[in-house]
Amino acid sequence: MNEPHRFDEHLLSGYLDGELTQGDAQRVRLHLEECPDCRRTLEEIRNIKEATMSTEFRLPPDDQWNEAPRSGASGMLRTFGWAIALAWFIGIVGYALWRAATDAEDLLAAVLVFGFWLGFLLLFLSVLIDRIKASKTDRYRKVEK
Amino acid sequence: MRDTGESPLEPDLVRRARSGRGPAREALGRVVGRTAYVFALQLTRSPDAALDVAQDSALRFFEHIDRFDADRAIEPWLYQIVRNRVRDLARRESLRRHDSLDAWIAGRPLEIADPDPGPPDEVERLELQRRIWGAISGLSDDHREILILRDHHGLPYREIAEIMSIPVGTVMSRLHAARTRLRDELADEGGRTRKGDEDHE
Repeated sequence: MNEPHRFDEHLLSGYLDGELTQGDAQRVRLHLEECPDCRRTLEEIRNIKEATMSTEFRLPPDDQWNEAPRSGASGMLRTFGWAIALAWFIGIVGYALWRAATDAEDLLAAVLVFGFWLGFLLLFLSVLIDRIKASKTDRYRKVEK
Repeated sequence: MRDTGESPLEPDLVRRARSGRGPAREALGRVVGRTAYVFALQLTRSPDAALDVAQDSALRFFEHIDRFDADRAIEPWLYQIVRNRVRDLARRESLRRHDSLDAWIAGRPLEIADPDPGPPDEVERLELQRRIWGAISGLSDDHREILILRDHHGLPYREIAEIMSIPVGTVMSRLHAARTRLRDELADEGGRTRKGDEDHE
Protein backbone atom coordinates (compact mmCIF):
# COMPACT_ATOMS: atom_id res chain seq x y z
CA MET A 1 0.00 0.00 0.00
CA ASN A 2 1.25 3.48 -0.78
CA GLU A 3 2.43 5.65 2.06
CA PRO A 4 -0.31 8.29 1.66
CA HIS A 5 -3.07 5.70 2.17
CA ARG A 6 -1.82 4.75 5.61
CA PHE A 7 -3.32 8.05 6.64
CA ASP A 8 -6.36 7.88 8.93
CA GLU A 9 -9.07 9.34 6.70
CA HIS A 10 -11.33 10.17 9.63
CA LEU A 11 -9.02 13.07 10.34
CA LEU A 12 -10.28 14.73 7.15
CA SER A 13 -13.68 15.33 8.75
CA GLY A 14 -12.09 16.62 11.93
CA TYR A 15 -9.92 18.91 9.79
CA LEU A 16 -12.91 20.17 7.82
CA ASP A 17 -14.80 20.92 11.03
CA GLY A 18 -11.87 22.58 12.79
CA GLU A 19 -11.98 19.95 15.53
CA LEU A 20 -8.37 18.73 15.41
CA THR A 21 -5.48 19.63 17.66
CA GLN A 22 -2.86 21.88 16.13
CA GLY A 23 -0.53 18.91 15.63
CA ASP A 24 -3.11 16.75 13.89
CA ALA A 25 -4.25 19.64 11.70
CA GLN A 26 -0.65 20.18 10.60
CA ARG A 27 -0.30 16.46 9.86
CA VAL A 28 -3.43 16.60 7.68
CA ARG A 29 -2.17 19.70 5.83
CA LEU A 30 1.13 17.98 5.03
CA HIS A 31 -0.66 14.85 3.89
CA LEU A 32 -3.04 16.80 1.66
CA GLU A 33 -0.12 18.36 -0.16
CA GLU A 34 0.97 14.97 -1.40
CA CYS A 35 -2.33 13.03 -1.70
CA PRO A 36 -4.74 13.99 -4.50
CA ASP A 37 -7.26 11.32 -3.40
CA CYS A 38 -7.64 12.87 0.03
CA ARG A 39 -7.81 16.37 -1.47
CA ARG A 40 -10.67 15.18 -3.65
CA THR A 41 -12.42 13.50 -0.70
CA LEU A 42 -12.08 16.65 1.37
CA GLU A 43 -13.55 18.75 -1.42
CA GLU A 44 -16.46 16.35 -1.89
CA ILE A 45 -17.42 16.21 1.77
CA ARG A 46 -17.01 19.99 2.03
CA ASN A 47 -19.55 20.47 -0.79
CA ILE A 48 -21.97 18.07 0.86
CA LYS A 49 -21.58 19.79 4.21
CA GLU A 50 -22.21 23.23 2.74
CA ALA A 51 -25.33 22.11 0.88
CA THR A 52 -26.64 20.31 3.96
CA MET A 53 -25.96 23.24 6.25
CA SER A 54 -27.71 25.74 3.96
CA THR A 55 -30.89 23.69 3.48
CA GLU A 56 -34.01 25.39 4.76
CA PHE A 57 -37.13 23.52 5.80
CA ARG A 58 -40.73 24.63 5.80
CA LEU A 59 -41.98 25.31 9.28
CA PRO A 60 -45.48 25.29 10.72
CA PRO A 61 -47.06 28.71 11.25
CA ASP A 62 -45.80 30.68 14.24
CA ASP A 63 -49.10 30.32 16.08
CA GLN A 64 -48.09 26.72 16.81
CA TRP A 65 -45.61 28.10 19.31
CA ASN A 66 -47.51 31.19 20.46
CA GLU A 67 -48.90 29.64 23.59
CA ALA A 68 -46.52 30.69 26.30
CA PRO A 69 -44.96 27.72 28.05
CA ARG A 70 -46.05 27.10 31.61
CA SER A 71 -44.17 28.94 34.32
CA GLY A 72 -42.81 27.19 37.40
CA ALA A 73 -45.83 28.37 39.43
CA SER A 74 -48.40 26.97 37.01
CA GLY A 75 -46.41 23.73 36.78
CA MET A 76 -46.53 23.43 40.57
CA LEU A 77 -50.28 24.07 40.59
CA ARG A 78 -50.75 21.39 37.99
CA THR A 79 -48.76 18.91 40.07
CA PHE A 80 -50.95 19.67 43.11
CA GLY A 81 -54.05 19.40 40.95
CA TRP A 82 -53.04 15.96 39.72
CA ALA A 83 -52.21 14.83 43.26
CA ILE A 84 -55.62 15.91 44.57
CA ALA A 85 -57.45 14.36 41.60
CA LEU A 86 -55.53 11.11 42.06
CA ALA A 87 -56.28 11.01 45.81
CA TRP A 88 -59.96 11.62 45.07
CA PHE A 89 -59.99 8.88 42.44
CA ILE A 90 -58.33 6.37 44.75
CA GLY A 91 -60.74 7.29 47.58
CA ILE A 92 -63.82 6.93 45.39
CA VAL A 93 -62.67 3.64 43.90
CA GLY A 94 -61.71 2.29 47.31
CA TYR A 95 -65.05 3.31 48.78
CA ALA A 96 -66.97 1.81 45.86
CA LEU A 97 -65.06 -1.44 46.12
CA TRP A 98 -65.60 -1.60 49.87
CA ARG A 99 -69.33 -0.96 49.50
CA ALA A 100 -69.65 -3.43 46.66
CA ALA A 101 -67.80 -6.11 48.61
CA THR A 102 -69.66 -5.61 51.92
CA ASP A 103 -73.18 -4.86 50.72
CA ALA A 104 -74.71 -8.24 49.93
CA GLU A 105 -78.13 -6.85 49.01
CA ASP A 106 -77.38 -6.69 45.32
CA LEU A 107 -74.88 -9.40 44.51
CA LEU A 108 -75.12 -8.93 40.74
CA ALA A 109 -74.33 -5.22 41.02
CA ALA A 110 -71.41 -6.03 43.33
CA VAL A 111 -70.01 -8.52 40.83
CA LEU A 112 -70.42 -6.07 37.96
CA VAL A 113 -68.76 -3.18 39.79
CA PHE A 114 -66.06 -5.31 41.34
CA GLY A 115 -65.32 -7.07 38.04
CA PHE A 116 -65.02 -3.80 36.14
CA TRP A 117 -62.59 -2.24 38.60
CA LEU A 118 -60.61 -5.45 38.98
CA GLY A 119 -60.17 -5.64 35.20
CA PHE A 120 -59.23 -1.97 35.07
CA LEU A 121 -56.74 -2.43 37.89
CA LEU A 122 -55.11 -5.44 36.21
CA LEU A 123 -54.77 -3.54 32.92
CA PHE A 124 -53.24 -0.60 34.75
CA LEU A 125 -50.80 -2.89 36.57
CA SER A 126 -49.73 -4.60 33.34
CA VAL A 127 -48.93 -1.24 31.72
CA LEU A 128 -47.14 -0.10 34.87
CA ILE A 129 -44.97 -3.23 34.95
CA ASP A 130 -44.03 -2.80 31.29
CA ARG A 131 -43.15 0.85 31.89
CA ILE A 132 -40.97 0.04 34.89
CA LYS A 133 -39.17 -2.71 32.99
CA ALA A 134 -38.65 -0.44 29.97
CA SER A 135 -37.32 2.38 32.13
CA LYS A 136 -34.64 0.10 33.61
CA THR A 137 -33.25 -0.82 30.21
CA ASP A 138 -33.82 2.48 28.43
CA ARG A 139 -30.41 3.97 27.66
CA TYR A 140 -32.01 7.40 27.23
CA ARG A 141 -33.74 7.46 30.61
CA LYS A 142 -31.34 10.08 31.93
CA VAL A 143 -32.15 12.54 29.22
CA GLU A 144 -34.68 14.66 31.04
CA LYS A 145 -32.99 15.63 34.24
CA MET B 1 -42.10 29.89 6.85
CA ARG B 2 -38.58 28.68 6.78
CA ASP B 3 -35.94 27.41 9.04
CA THR B 4 -33.73 30.45 9.33
CA GLY B 5 -30.62 28.58 10.34
CA GLU B 6 -30.02 31.16 13.10
CA SER B 7 -28.15 30.21 16.24
CA PRO B 8 -31.22 29.56 18.33
CA LEU B 9 -30.62 29.19 22.03
CA GLU B 10 -28.77 32.32 22.99
CA PRO B 11 -27.67 32.09 26.65
CA ASP B 12 -29.04 35.56 27.37
CA LEU B 13 -32.49 34.66 26.05
CA VAL B 14 -32.45 31.44 28.09
CA ARG B 15 -31.47 33.36 31.25
CA ARG B 16 -34.24 35.94 30.76
CA ALA B 17 -36.79 33.25 29.98
CA ARG B 18 -35.90 31.35 33.14
CA SER B 19 -36.93 34.28 35.28
CA GLY B 20 -40.61 33.89 34.40
CA ARG B 21 -43.24 34.54 31.76
CA GLY B 22 -43.18 37.42 29.35
CA PRO B 23 -41.78 38.13 25.90
CA ALA B 24 -38.48 36.34 26.54
CA ARG B 25 -40.23 33.13 27.50
CA GLU B 26 -42.52 33.33 24.48
CA ALA B 27 -39.56 34.03 22.19
CA LEU B 28 -37.67 31.09 23.63
CA GLY B 29 -40.78 28.95 23.20
CA ARG B 30 -40.83 29.75 19.49
CA VAL B 31 -37.11 29.08 19.06
CA VAL B 32 -37.30 25.80 20.97
CA GLY B 33 -40.39 24.73 19.02
CA ARG B 34 -38.85 25.50 15.64
CA THR B 35 -35.51 23.87 16.46
CA ALA B 36 -37.21 20.77 17.84
CA TYR B 37 -39.55 20.62 14.83
CA VAL B 38 -36.79 20.73 12.23
CA PHE B 39 -34.72 18.06 13.99
CA ALA B 40 -37.79 15.87 14.52
CA LEU B 41 -38.80 16.31 10.87
CA GLN B 42 -35.33 15.28 9.75
CA LEU B 43 -35.47 12.16 11.91
CA THR B 44 -39.08 11.13 11.32
CA ARG B 45 -39.68 12.55 7.83
CA SER B 46 -43.28 13.02 8.90
CA PRO B 47 -44.53 16.58 9.51
CA ASP B 48 -47.39 15.38 11.72
CA ALA B 49 -45.11 13.28 13.90
CA ALA B 50 -42.53 16.09 13.95
CA LEU B 51 -45.12 18.57 15.20
CA ASP B 52 -46.21 16.22 17.98
CA VAL B 53 -42.62 15.56 18.97
CA ALA B 54 -41.74 19.27 18.87
CA GLN B 55 -44.67 20.29 21.06
CA ASP B 56 -44.02 17.51 23.52
CA SER B 57 -40.29 18.30 23.60
CA ALA B 58 -40.93 22.01 24.16
CA LEU B 59 -43.25 21.17 27.04
CA ARG B 60 -40.63 18.98 28.68
CA PHE B 61 -37.93 21.55 28.01
CA PHE B 62 -39.87 24.22 29.90
CA GLU B 63 -40.92 21.85 32.68
CA HIS B 64 -37.28 21.31 33.58
CA ILE B 65 -35.58 24.51 32.47
CA ASP B 66 -35.64 26.03 35.96
CA ARG B 67 -33.69 23.09 37.33
CA PHE B 68 -31.22 22.86 34.46
CA ASP B 69 -27.59 23.63 35.32
CA ALA B 70 -27.04 27.08 33.83
CA ASP B 71 -23.33 26.40 33.32
CA ARG B 72 -23.99 23.62 30.85
CA ALA B 73 -24.74 24.11 27.15
CA ILE B 74 -28.47 23.91 26.65
CA GLU B 75 -28.57 22.83 22.98
CA PRO B 76 -27.45 19.22 23.58
CA TRP B 77 -30.16 18.87 26.18
CA LEU B 78 -32.89 19.99 23.75
CA TYR B 79 -31.61 17.75 20.95
CA GLN B 80 -31.38 14.88 23.41
CA ILE B 81 -35.01 15.39 24.43
CA VAL B 82 -36.13 15.40 20.79
CA ARG B 83 -34.05 12.33 19.95
CA ASN B 84 -35.50 10.56 22.95
CA ARG B 85 -39.07 11.50 22.00
CA VAL B 86 -38.54 10.28 18.43
CA ARG B 87 -37.19 6.97 19.69
CA ASP B 88 -40.12 6.63 22.09
CA LEU B 89 -42.48 7.26 19.20
CA ALA B 90 -40.69 4.75 16.99
CA ARG B 91 -40.89 2.16 19.75
CA ARG B 92 -44.62 2.71 20.19
CA GLU B 93 -45.56 2.65 16.55
CA SER B 94 -44.07 2.29 13.14
CA LEU B 95 -43.82 5.79 11.83
CA ARG B 96 -45.57 6.29 8.56
CA ARG B 97 -42.76 8.11 6.89
CA HIS B 98 -42.73 10.13 3.76
CA ASP B 99 -40.42 8.74 1.13
CA SER B 100 -38.07 11.65 1.54
CA LEU B 101 -37.84 15.17 2.82
CA ASP B 102 -38.10 16.65 -0.66
CA ALA B 103 -41.52 18.16 -0.12
CA TRP B 104 -40.42 19.91 3.06
CA ILE B 105 -37.30 21.57 1.80
CA ALA B 106 -38.18 25.21 1.46
CA GLY B 107 -37.45 26.72 -1.89
CA ARG B 108 -38.68 26.95 -5.39
CA PRO B 109 -40.41 23.68 -6.26
CA LEU B 110 -38.39 22.28 -9.12
CA GLU B 111 -41.04 19.82 -10.12
CA ILE B 112 -43.49 22.58 -10.98
CA ALA B 113 -43.01 24.31 -14.29
CA ASP B 114 -42.20 27.90 -13.54
CA PRO B 115 -41.80 30.66 -16.09
CA ASP B 116 -39.07 32.12 -13.89
CA PRO B 117 -37.01 29.21 -12.60
CA GLY B 118 -34.55 31.51 -10.83
CA PRO B 119 -30.79 31.82 -11.21
CA PRO B 120 -29.16 28.60 -12.46
CA ASP B 121 -26.90 28.41 -9.39
CA GLU B 122 -29.93 28.52 -7.11
CA VAL B 123 -31.74 25.79 -9.05
CA GLU B 124 -28.62 23.63 -9.00
CA ARG B 125 -28.15 24.16 -5.27
CA LEU B 126 -31.74 23.14 -4.51
CA GLU B 127 -31.40 20.09 -6.70
CA LEU B 128 -28.24 19.07 -4.84
CA GLN B 129 -29.96 19.62 -1.49
CA ARG B 130 -32.89 17.44 -2.51
CA ARG B 131 -30.54 14.67 -3.62
CA ILE B 132 -28.54 14.94 -0.40
CA TRP B 133 -31.58 14.75 1.89
CA GLY B 134 -32.95 11.87 -0.15
CA ALA B 135 -29.67 10.02 0.40
CA ILE B 136 -29.55 10.97 4.10
CA SER B 137 -32.89 9.19 4.53
CA GLY B 138 -31.14 5.98 3.49
CA LEU B 139 -28.39 6.15 6.11
CA SER B 140 -28.46 4.12 9.32
CA ASP B 141 -30.00 5.86 12.36
CA ASP B 142 -26.62 6.55 13.99
CA HIS B 143 -25.08 7.93 10.81
CA ARG B 144 -28.14 10.00 9.99
CA GLU B 145 -28.37 11.55 13.45
CA ILE B 146 -24.71 12.40 13.68
CA LEU B 147 -24.59 13.91 10.20
CA ILE B 148 -27.70 16.01 10.76
CA LEU B 149 -26.49 17.28 14.13
CA ARG B 150 -23.14 18.33 12.70
CA ASP B 151 -23.82 19.32 9.10
CA HIS B 152 -27.21 20.94 9.48
CA HIS B 153 -27.41 22.08 13.10
CA GLY B 154 -23.68 22.77 13.39
CA LEU B 155 -23.12 21.24 16.82
CA PRO B 156 -19.52 20.75 17.95
CA TYR B 157 -18.24 17.18 18.37
CA ARG B 158 -18.24 17.51 22.16
CA GLU B 159 -21.96 18.26 22.26
CA ILE B 160 -22.80 15.51 19.78
CA ALA B 161 -20.81 13.11 21.95
CA GLU B 162 -22.89 14.21 24.93
CA ILE B 163 -26.18 13.73 23.07
CA MET B 164 -25.26 10.30 21.75
CA SER B 165 -23.33 9.14 24.83
CA ILE B 166 -20.25 8.21 22.81
CA PRO B 167 -16.60 9.39 22.88
CA VAL B 168 -15.60 12.41 20.79
CA GLY B 169 -13.28 10.24 18.69
CA THR B 170 -16.20 8.01 17.79
CA VAL B 171 -18.17 11.07 16.71
CA MET B 172 -15.39 11.94 14.24
CA SER B 173 -15.06 8.44 12.83
CA ARG B 174 -18.83 7.90 12.53
CA LEU B 175 -19.32 11.31 10.99
CA HIS B 176 -16.64 10.65 8.40
CA ALA B 177 -18.15 7.25 7.63
CA ALA B 178 -21.56 8.91 7.20
CA ARG B 179 -20.16 11.59 4.92
CA THR B 180 -18.26 9.20 2.69
CA ARG B 181 -21.26 6.88 2.56
CA LEU B 182 -23.41 9.81 1.50
CA ARG B 183 -20.86 10.85 -1.11
CA ASP B 184 -20.80 7.32 -2.52
CA GLU B 185 -24.61 7.17 -2.60
CA LEU B 186 -24.76 10.45 -4.49
CA ALA B 187 -22.09 9.29 -6.92
CA ASP B 188 -23.96 6.00 -7.52
CA GLU B 189 -27.21 7.88 -8.01
CA GLY B 190 -25.51 10.28 -10.41
CA GLY B 191 -24.11 7.31 -12.34
CA ARG B 192 -27.54 5.69 -12.54
CA THR B 193 -29.12 8.96 -13.70
CA ARG B 194 -26.50 9.47 -16.39
CA LYS B 195 -26.91 5.87 -17.58
CA GLY B 196 -30.70 6.33 -17.69
CA ASP B 197 -30.31 9.49 -19.74
CA GLU B 198 -27.96 7.74 -22.19
CA ASP B 199 -30.38 4.83 -22.55
CA HIS B 200 -33.15 7.23 -23.44
CA GLU B 201 -31.09 8.94 -26.13
